Amino acid sequence: MKGQNVFAYEEAAHNNLNLINSVLLLKAMQVTIRLKEAFKSTGSILVCGLPGIAYVGKLSVDHLIRGLGAQLVGEVYSRFFSPYVLIGRDGVVELLRNELYYWTDGAGRGVFFFTGNAQATSPEGQYYIVDEVLETVVGFGVKRVYSLAAFLTRKQFEAPSVYGTATDLSLIEELKKYGVLPMEQGSISGMNGLIFGLTRLKELEGICLLGETNGYQTSTGHYLVDAKAGRAVLQVLAEMLDITVDMKPLEAQAEQMDLLTMRLADFEKQVREELRKVSDRDPSRYIT
Amino acid sequence: MIGILPATSLDRMGGKTLKDTWIRYYRKPETTGAVAVAGSPGLRSIGKLVVDSLITKMQPELIAELYSTHFPLIYQTTPSYASHPQLPGVSGVTIASGRVGFPKIQFYFHPSPPLILTQGCHANFAGQYEVAEKVLDFYDEVGVSRLIVVAGYGLRGKDVCCAATSRRIMDGLKEQYGVEAGYEGPFYGFSGLVFGLAKRRGLDAFCLFGRTEPRPDDPESPDDEASEHVLRTLDQMLGLR
Repeated sequence: MKGQNVFAYEEAAHNNLNLINSVLLLKAMQVTIRLKEAFKSTGSILVCGLPGIAYVGKLSVDHLIRGLGAQLVGEVYSRFFSPYVLIGRDGVVELLRNELYYWTDGAGRGVFFFTGNAQATSPEGQYYIVDEVLETVVGFGVKRVYSLAAFLTRKQFEAPSVYGTATDLSLIEELKKYGVLPMEQGSISGMNGLIFGLTRLKELEGICLLGETNGYQTSTGHYLVDAKAGRAVLQVLAEMLDITVDMKPLEAQAEQMDLLTMRLADFEKQVREELRKVSDRDPSRYIT
Repeated sequence: MIGILPATSLDRMGGKTLKDTWIRYYRKPETTGAVAVAGSPGLRSIGKLVVDSLITKMQPELIAELYSTHFPLIYQTTPSYASHPQLPGVSGVTIASGRVGFPKIQFYFHPSPPLILTQGCHANFAGQYEVAEKVLDFYDEVGVSRLIVVAGYGLRGKDVCCAATSRRIMDGLKEQYGVEAGYEGPFYGFSGLVFGLAKRRGLDAFCLFGRTEPRPDDPESPDDEASEHVLRTLDQMLGLR
């Protein structure tokens, strides 16, 4: 049953093979995973971190990929990504895509990393992509999936906590040993949450680690990178996977983001103050 | 709608269901190594102006038209049919000289130098990948070996800057023509996606961006000066005029 295609569950529900074949065909047309031809290694763990709230998951996985020197082994393309491309500083164009990286510790343990420059825009697309990626890595031996995400809160805190949830109670007990607070309730949005959910349906071991963040957004609605939350998640993950990661780059980034956040907060305070003065001078003006 | 389809297209569809995207062929030119030039409405119509200008001056032959049910007939939501989510384009059938026309992409062929000139059109949000893939299928069928995309950019910088599918092409453009990178960021719509998907298919491609001042109140107001800058650069590269 492990690694079973999630859409096969519909077969049992509807007992309609044609419908299932149609769904699978549709998925094959919409999602393409290009693996490196020579890649035949195995790995038992997948770590997922796609761009989301405060970039907690993506930042953590990107840092691991760089720090460990993981190699790009697969590219995921799909019509479900937004229809635009990115022009880099060097002028080279890139499609929106997800990526699979692979790292081995030299002692036979292999780890896959799943990240990218975007998430699919529609729920349908998110299901198709995540399902295809999970099927692919299960084919290479993956049995446990770690998903890294953000735990959004309005509460003020000194240092971010790491919350966690898992596919069974024994894994949650394991998380507690690493100082992870069980996530009692809530939702995990987007593909970082979905991959954890589908892990359960596919009867794999799934763990989701969520870094606490206030999710600071600019006036245009863009999230600022929360390197502190990323670092907190990464520390737990590194301990669980028994790997050594240099945290200094993340610490430097966290300090820079602290300064930027403080400046932005000051700036917003000034704007509010100016608006208040205008409002006081002209009581007829309506300011929300 | 069926009336615009040639009989061969009906055969391909089994005469029953309408394909989402299809091409009406007038002639398939026997050519290899053609250069495709593609532009579409967008930031002050620079890409569209460049391609339209080339068509007017070179009088190429219309060889095919691409239709799609993904081309806009009505704006369901403002961001759906546009080169940029905040800049809606034109939707619906067009009436010119008393005749009705459908939103379409047109392919023109010029034999010497061998060029495929492409007048692009923005599909809706869900159909842009499909349309762009179909355009690249067509380029493959008619032997296109290189793609040049023409578009605009709204930042301060040089009159014309470029982007490409590889560093090698960027280096070549700088060395031979003095054109360099100057725009960094998203490239929306038909032209951007054809450009990006060309890279995935291994088709060498570059884009020439003409600098313009964005006009949010009238995004499609033509910028002839900016398009002329792009045309001059193209002329230098291809010896067109």
